[in-house]
Amino acid sequence: MVFEDIVFAPILLPLLGAALVITAKAFLQGRPMKILEYIGAFVGLGLPWLSFALTLPAVTSGRVFQGVIGNWHASVGITYQFDGLAWLVNVLTYSVCSAAWLYSLGSGPRGPAFTSVFLILTASLSATIMTSDIFNLFVCLEVVGISSYILVASTDKPGASLASFTYLMISASAMVFFLLGVYGLYRVTGSLSYQGIAQGLKALPDGGGMTAVISLALIISSTVIRVAVMPFSGWLPDAHALAPHAVSAVLSGVLIKVPLFALSRILLIMPVGAQAGQLLGWAGALTALIGVILALSQADAKRLLAYHSVSQIGYVVCAWGIALYVGITTSKGAALMTAAFLHAFYHALFKGLLFLSVGTTVDRAGERNVYRLRGAAAILRSCGERIPVTLLTYLAGALAISAVPPFNGFISKNAISYALEGTPLYYLLFAAGIGTVASFIKLSRIYWPDRSRKEIPVPAVPVPLTSKISQGGLALLCLGGGILASRIHSLVMLLLSGTRAEYLIQWYSAGALLKTGAVIALGTGVYLLTTTGIIARVLKVIREQPGDFRGLYISFSIGTALLAGWMLLHL
Amino acid sequence: MIERILLLGMFLIGFWGIVSRKNLIKKIFGLNIINNSVVILFVLEGSRAGSSAPIMEQGISNIVDPVPQALMLTAIVIGVCISALALALAFRLYKATGTYNIQEIKRKVHNGF
Repeated sequence: MVFEDIVFAPILLPLLGAALVITAKAFLQGRPMKILEYIGAFVGLGLPWLSFALTLPAVTSGRVFQGVIGNWHASVGITYQFDGLAWLVNVLTYSVCSAAWLYSLGSGPRGPAFTSVFLILTASLSATIMTSDIFNLFVCLEVVGISSYILVASTDKPGASLASFTYLMISASAMVFFLLGVYGLYRVTGSLSYQGIAQGLKALPDGGGMTAVISLALIISSTVIRVAVMPFSGWLPDAHALAPHAVSAVLSGVLIKVPLFALSRILLIMPVGAQAGQLLGWAGALTALIGVILALSQADAKRLLAYHSVSQIGYVVCAWGIALYVGITTSKGAALMTAAFLHAFYHALFKGLLFLSVGTTVDRAGERNVYRLRGAAAILRSCGERIPVTLLTYLAGALAISAVPPFNGFISKNAISYALEGTPLYYLLFAAGIGTVASFIKLSRIYWPDRSRKEIPVPAVPVPLTSKISQGGLALLCLGGGILASRIHSLVMLLLSGTRAEYLIQWYSAGALLKTGAVIALGTGVYLLTTTGIIARVLKVIREQPGDFRGLYISFSIGTALLAGWMLLHL
Repeated sequence: MIERILLLGMFLIGFWGIVSRKNLIKKIFGLNIINNSVVILFVLEGSRAGSSAPIMEQGISNIVDPVPQALMLTAIVIGVCISALALALAFRLYKATGTYNIQEIKRKVHNGF
């Protein structure tokens, strides 16, 4: 055992934890089972933090842990890479997963079966970002997928089973295309590690030609289906809206981002990867805008949040794609990549928080329709919340996603805006920001006092302490992310690009605050517009568009064909 | 060449099954078929050079490329897991709605029975 092996802790400890939990389920009952389950969860979700603390000095000094697992020969073994990017994405994963698991203790789904699958999901997410072998990436993505299908279906609602089935079918068939891509690259280069493939392609006179490009396009589009950029996002709203709240938080917070950053490892070193990044960046900006319009039209509170995940991942993909296009070694690229990660991280925090707090609220109220539910603050009070933790944490999340200072969303959205200033993408994202404000005014109305003063129809269920702790913790992180902006920003930039920030962004400048004010005013205006007859009717039409199983495949095929065509054009 | 054309046919049949059949079980069949066609494609690729199975005993030479076979063992295991899970979900939907037809299920779930 050498110090380097500590980088495997975030993968192996959750697996060990899962094994402990399964042992508890198989051999123990009652109290001992619970105790062993909690020990397993602590081993899986708590101890890895220690390894992050221990590896931080090394990764900040630019050290990259890499090698071949089990010391096999590089041509047959599985290569891995633990650098600043892997460290950051692991921290993102573990902060949201820990909070979500804590929340699940109080409001379900409970039990060792859930905990063990949850831990396996955490381990596989961590493995996804650390691998630098294309077949191992396939395996990691499949394990992430399988555990997330199980988690989505871990409630007895038939809607959740259907959503899980649809998600399973589309993403499992996409993974077959991924495998086809692996086939193409292996055939051309005879190698499976990213480095080996990139070197193999460079050595060929035409860079691998059409086979390589189409294979790469297949791999990209079947990874992007997990990220849910349009047009690959059709499966997401149902799966995220119908899953249990704790699972929704992890799906929206973590699961859609890890594959994206894992993909950047491939795109950075492959030919035409930059152009693919450019196309994805544009798709991301459009996704941000279209997603928010769809969110604005939703009636179900959790579906509204799910569409916001699509929209916010659009922001991330936009900054990420353009960063790849300009190259992350340039100062603009480094700024964009930093902004992309910051927004991914902050979105994980505030969207996890929103799913948990809105989940707590709709459970207590027994109503998920944002047009019908009113007076939720009073309902929460009648459930014994003397200090309105849920309401306050919801507000923290809503203000963060609407980019209101001093919450973290303000920082990350501004970081993206600074870096994109002057391009058409900037205006698309600006418009999306207005829509975000409008739709969160719409969602916040569920807490407004109910004038009709009806009797509360549901029995008062107290909010469990664990829910309050996890919501409160995430809310504090949201606030902390806003206040400590400069420090976190320069740490992320150092880890991602190895350079210290050349300039300090004046986060709370008058210009930025004025812009925020304008966005809020415009957002309020848009919200008032949507309550008028004709626009409300248009939104109703959008809302009632039937989602079609076949449509998912058609959009997947079209998206892949477009990507492949675009990359061939730039070959 | 003929093998590849047959595999393409197999792949298309499976894809057609997933996209246009309404029965959940047939969709799962389709998924299996496309998965298997890619598995066979890999193994075929490995056998372009060499002829014997890569089991290193005495007197064995001229083996095929063992890497694709190793990869495909993993892919087959994953495929089995996916099928098992998909079948379990399909059965759960059947118990809840009494049908395997995806449109019926969608309608019933949407209307809350």
